[in-house]
Amino acid sequence: MQQDYPEVSETLITQTLPNGLRVLIVPKPDYHETYAQFAVDYGGIDTRYVPVGGSEMVQDPEGIAHFLEHKLFEKADHDAFDLFGATGASANAFTGATSTAYLFSTSQAVAENLTTLLDFVQDPYFTAQTVAKEKGIIGQEIQMYQDSPGWLLYYGILGNLYPDHPVAHDVTGSLESIDRITPEALYQAYQTFYQPSNMTLTIVGNVDPAALLALIEANQAAKSFAPATPITRGVAFDGDVATILPYRALNLPVVRPKSAVGLKGQRDIGGDQAGTRYQVAVRLLLEMLFGDSSPLYQDWYDRGLIDDSFDYDYQVARTFNYVTFAGDTEDPQALSDAIVAVLAQGADQPSLTEARFARLKQAGLGKYYQSLNSLERIAGQLSAQSFTAVNAFELADVMRAVTLDELKTIAGELFDLAAVSVCHVLPEVSE
Amino acid sequence: MRIELTSGVYLNVIPTTKFKTTRIAVHFLAPTDAMTYAARTLLTSVLETSSAAYPTQAALAAELELMYGANFGIGVSKDGQVHRVTATLDLVADALAGQPLLARGCRFLAEVLLHPKRVGDHFDPAVVTRERHNLMDYLSSLAEDRQLQASLAAQALYFAADADQATPSFGTAEAVAAVTETDLQAAYQQLLTLDQIELVVLGDVQPAAVTELVAQMGFAPRNPHPLSLITDQPVAATVRTQTQVASVNQAKMNLAYHTPIDLYGPNYYPALVAAELFGGSPLSFLFTNVREKASLAYYASSVLDPFRHLMMVQTGIDGTNAAVVQDLIAAQLKKVATGDFSDALLQKIKDGLKNGRQIAYDSPRFLARQGLLHALIPAHRMAYADYAAQVDAVTRAQVQAAAEAMTLQAIYLLTDQEAI
Repeated sequence: MQQDYPEVSETLITQTLPNGLRVLIVPKPDYHETYAQFAVDYGGIDTRYVPVGGSEMVQDPEGIAHFLEHKLFEKADHDAFDLFGATGASANAFTGATSTAYLFSTSQAVAENLTTLLDFVQDPYFTAQTVAKEKGIIGQEIQMYQDSPGWLLYYGILGNLYPDHPVAHDVTGSLESIDRITPEALYQAYQTFYQPSNMTLTIVGNVDPAALLALIEANQAAKSFAPATPITRGVAFDGDVATILPYRALNLPVVRPKSAVGLKGQRDIGGDQAGTRYQVAVRLLLEMLFGDSSPLYQDWYDRGLIDDSFDYDYQVARTFNYVTFAGDTEDPQALSDAIVAVLAQGADQPSLTEARFARLKQAGLGKYYQSLNSLERIAGQLSAQSFTAVNAFELADVMRAVTLDELKTIAGELFDLAAVSVCHVLPEVSE
Repeated sequence: MRIELTSGVYLNVIPTTKFKTTRIAVHFLAPTDAMTYAARTLLTSVLETSSAAYPTQAALAAELELMYGANFGIGVSKDGQVHRVTATLDLVADALAGQPLLARGCRFLAEVLLHPKRVGDHFDPAVVTRERHNLMDYLSSLAEDRQLQASLAAQALYFAADADQATPSFGTAEAVAAVTETDLQAAYQQLLTLDQIELVVLGDVQPAAVTELVAQMGFAPRNPHPLSLITDQPVAATVRTQTQVASVNQAKMNLAYHTPIDLYGPNYYPALVAAELFGGSPLSFLFTNVREKASLAYYASSVLDPFRHLMMVQTGIDGTNAAVVQDLIAAQLKKVATGDFSDALLQKIKDGLKNGRQIAYDSPRFLARQGLLHALIPAHRMAYADYAAQVDAVTRAQVQAAAEAMTLQAIYLLTDQEAI
């Protein structure tokens, strides 16, 4: 199916293959680059599931999705990196809480690289020896993150909000958990989650969509796949405020103290029209209250409560959604108190005026248009929403439709003090 | 297209219909002088957060929102012996926004750069105090990024005899603390009357219209100091080493090499290919042999700084392995120098460089940067085809010679007490 979006001068071609694989193509004839991303609906949180062909839940070690991502590049007699490299293309991969993606970027030999991408991801090769070696590399990665105070603060606040949900655990796992990963566990997870029906291939760039689709169809038709099997996941939506740890402080070797406030979403937000609209509204609401043109921001900045490092983040994914506020500050308690005081006002927020709302909507539209310069951003957004009703090229319409009253309603519901937690990072006290 | 708007003020226009944005960059260029970095940096913070027309940060942010969420920032940087204060503004293209944002953006930049918020003859002391405080906090917290900390320390070690290069472009917290009102005024006067100005405008624009808009911004004529980008220092007979202890889980080891390069001349492209083969790409020896095969590092890569005759290797390792990793890195450079690589690998490395370069032409930021380099370096060529031809022409013997000429000069190690 081909859909044109004249406002942003973009075209999207979508097709679902007989094996269930979704393919999304956006031609960009002006560009030199072609960017392709092969994504799996499987990430760091998916450690509990019923394996294909089984009936009992299994519990995998944390970090297995990320470990699998690393390991998929290595084959018996070659490394997939080298195949991309042989054409001059660059390849990479990343693992998030709910997805894993493999990608390449190239200005030439698109067909060859696309074949490499499909083939290496669909041909797992795990041995005791290669798994053991990878533990050294990932162990270094885990240790590197342990030296990042911002990272530790982020996982600190997630740990407070989600004591019983794996989103609170580092996607890379721990030295202890990755030590328990075996080739058998990797194959089992692979066979369960890397089914074509659980995957999306997104290509944005200087391509001929018909020729690419023919290539992808032929590639998939030549391989045999087990019949598509629904996946039973053992991780459910967590909007439970009763489990929240209200406060923790971490003592770390930092120069500046840091303060974070977390707000747990209690409503499971889908990717349908209503869910997308809700997310857009929440982002506008947060920008109105905490963005750098807000009266609050100005006051806090002038008082030295915050500096440029202050920011908020809103994450919505399968089984969880939350808002975090964080910044470097001399007085972490004063900053978290100030943020909590705003949340305590619920829908009663003096800075929610029609004039600012109109301005921020326009700014939001502009940021969205700007994001369309980047093929990676287009592919990332399309891929993230490939299972849902609204795609990235329709966001402008959603943004225009949102009303200020919606924002107020959301503020009244989302800003629940029972759903709030605080985490501080404090300098280590010398002995 | 490059024209001199008035003495010492140049406009570079790069028309393209490819992007949904228009980019404006205003570069103020001066010869490097470490004594001025802190004042120039504090000045960017003061200008970036207040002006006569937009006295508060909220007012300034509101104007950016009204310009369809324009992205604005002022920062400092160094290219060799040139210190740069750069203001950039990214706007939605006029056609897409349905309004003349480019004209409004030019007026905005003129307001912010030329009409700061004043109290009497001074910058608003409240703004200066606040921004100084924030900047000092920020600079002292840089050590929380261990990779950056190691990189800056290795640079200081390598340029021990050259304060202009050893000091980061943004100065130090101590120097920011010492900046006086007079220093700040002097730094601003230098921007207004002495620094060479290069404006770069990229997007779906008409050069004549841009010229008229930019001329109205009102930059004063000036006779700037001549700029000379390239810096070099003699090769030392001994390698400088430094080990610092910190509470880290992963140690950082950086190695600095002197590298003979003539920018965009006959030695440049061989050095580029040699550095890429050594540690610049996932196919490189550092990546495949140090990270992958020996499993000794999470990252191990090299980057070439052609303006400073410098190649820097960065690694993240287990501190107890520092000596082993150091030997392994030396062995990888030796492999390049002795020609211990296949023709096929050499070709792949070249293809990777060309591919990456061609893709970069899809980025407004890259193209605008090329506009600046083109203005400053006579040998610079804008076209991709020129770059590709130069890379293709590099021979195996040239790559070996380039690697042979890279000389280790400094080793910096940031590690945990227990690893020593």
